[in-house]
Amino acid sequence: MKLLLIGHPNVGKSVLFNRLTGANVTESNYPGTTVDYTKGYMQIDGEEVELIDVPGTFSLDPKDKAEEVAVKMLKDNEDSIVICVIDSTKIERGLYLALEIIEMGYPVVIALNMWDVAKDKDIEIDLQRLRELLGVPVVPTIAVSGWGVKELVSKIKDAKPRDISKIESKVEGTS
Amino acid sequence: MECEIDERWKLVDRIAEETVTYGDGKTTLKDAIAELTVKPLTGLPIALAVLYGFWSFFSAFAGFFTDGFFVRLFDNHWLPWLQGVFPGKGSWYYFILVGDPAAGNSFEAFGMLTSGLFVAIGIVLPAITAFYLYLIILEDSGYMPRLAVLIDTLLHKIGLHGFAIVPMILSLGCNVPGVAATRTLQTKKQRFMMITLLAIFIPCGAQLGVIFSLIPEFAGIILLYLLIGFIFFGFILHKVIPGKSPEILIDIPPYRTPSLENVSKKLWVRTKGFFTTAIPFVLLGVGLVNVLYLGGVIDWLAEALGPLLTTWFGVPKETVGPLVAGFLRKDLAVAQLSAIEMTKYQLISSVVLVNLYFPCIATFIMMMKEGSERGVRGVLEILGGSLLVLATVLFIWGGLLHLIWIMMGVA
Repeated sequence: MKLLLIGHPNVGKSVLFNRLTGANVTESNYPGTTVDYTKGYMQIDGEEVELIDVPGTFSLDPKDKAEEVAVKMLKDNEDSIVICVIDSTKIERGLYLALEIIEMGYPVVIALNMWDVAKDKDIEIDLQRLRELLGVPVVPTIAVSGWGVKELVSKIKDAKPRDISKIESKVEGTS
Repeated sequence: MECEIDERWKLVDRIAEETVTYGDGKTTLKDAIAELTVKPLTGLPIALAVLYGFWSFFSAFAGFFTDGFFVRLFDNHWLPWLQGVFPGKGSWYYFILVGDPAAGNSFEAFGMLTSGLFVAIGIVLPAITAFYLYLIILEDSGYMPRLAVLIDTLLHKIGLHGFAIVPMILSLGCNVPGVAATRTLQTKKQRFMMITLLAIFIPCGAQLGVIFSLIPEFAGIILLYLLIGFIFFGFILHKVIPGKSPEILIDIPPYRTPSLENVSKKLWVRTKGFFTTAIPFVLLGVGLVNVLYLGGVIDWLAEALGPLLTTWFGVPKETVGPLVAGFLRKDLAVAQLSAIEMTKYQLISSVVLVNLYFPCIATFIMMMKEGSERGVRGVLEILGGSLLVLATVLFIWGGLLHLIWIMMGVA
């Protein structure tokens, strides 16, 4: 089993990567710190799993070399589970990328990172509803402090491929 | 099943509508600071204050370790001891390793174990530690991208969106990651321009450190001249090179309190990198120049290049040795230059020359690596192009400085 960390630039993928693997990838508070991928290893239920820190990308339609790396990593690792890292304060665009990845058939776990910043900004997210609609695990995290990371790890095995039309009908059905 | 872009956004909107509610969002202190640092009226004074803060911190930190500790250690203990016990005074290996047996300080001895170690550990190490520490705090706090917004207008005029500030700032630490960071630029033109401009005009942390430590009184003028060159030639390259420079929109991250853990980890990683890559190269640089001296190559080069150096660039022919060392380490070159006897104007010119001419070997290899992704042709393009620009810039910008001195009546 392989895990890919995918998300927009500067949402905290590298911080999460370091948390999960104990590695020393450079983290900075600006977009574009990671321009190439980094591999690391972590334990899930006693099993050693490879985790790849992928450069930030806005969509799967690459605009620069760093984004090309991200798309290539997805295509080269078709059997992997994707941890899609989303900035909780900018949830819409994060969801867009998550849906793109779900459509491609990857099992996805969503980490709603920077949960603390969203709280500061009075943004309320109905986690239960979001999980229902998407049908994939959604875990709030604060990567810089490590909050929620354990729960994220415990949900990785729950990730399953999800048919996008099921998400569509769920959304339709409720309105 | 796949859906179209519009459909996907519609779906996202529906999901968000149902699950996310945006509150009023109080204006926090961080928001207030964020505002103040991007608006030009308040942002520019703050940027100046940040620079001044850097300057004060750097002088205090590096000065404390270099002057207060390493100079004494090397000059009063290491050098006399080494000169006393090292065998074979007058032999070739004594010259290469210890240098001048009569030297009164480690700086002017020019041996691998004297000047080499002193420059690497005594001067550059404290300098880059101070420099990196400040830079990392600016990085992690989130100030950097705001500085980018401020400089954006200026860079826009040369066809580089403010985001190019990230490669620039990384280059101030070391040009190698700076070159790698150009991967976030969209077009070939942008990448070529940025890589070339970086390699020519942006001094690395080690080099800056030596400039700040040894010739702080000229640091301002040297950096200003390089900055103007960066903008001027950036503008010209933008006009001359075909291709597009599209906008890149970037997010400004929120301000965060840098965590002690991350700051110390990054400082450690970078300083460790310095120990393993820079120190061997500094020692190698000193050794190489000494070997070339013994072989008569430096004298031969000095004679051959002398007329060019003295008439066109206005620097003494003795600068050849440091210029050769500059291929390996530019910090070393600057240190050696400051030990050569010349007028302050010649010193400024020669430090500018070290900056402009050939990138250090590590940057050079990184440039080839970036080009190699597009095969042999890519390598040729980036090297041929960059070297052509470099040679042109070196002659024009280096010569112009000499002309300025002549017009001021000081050369």
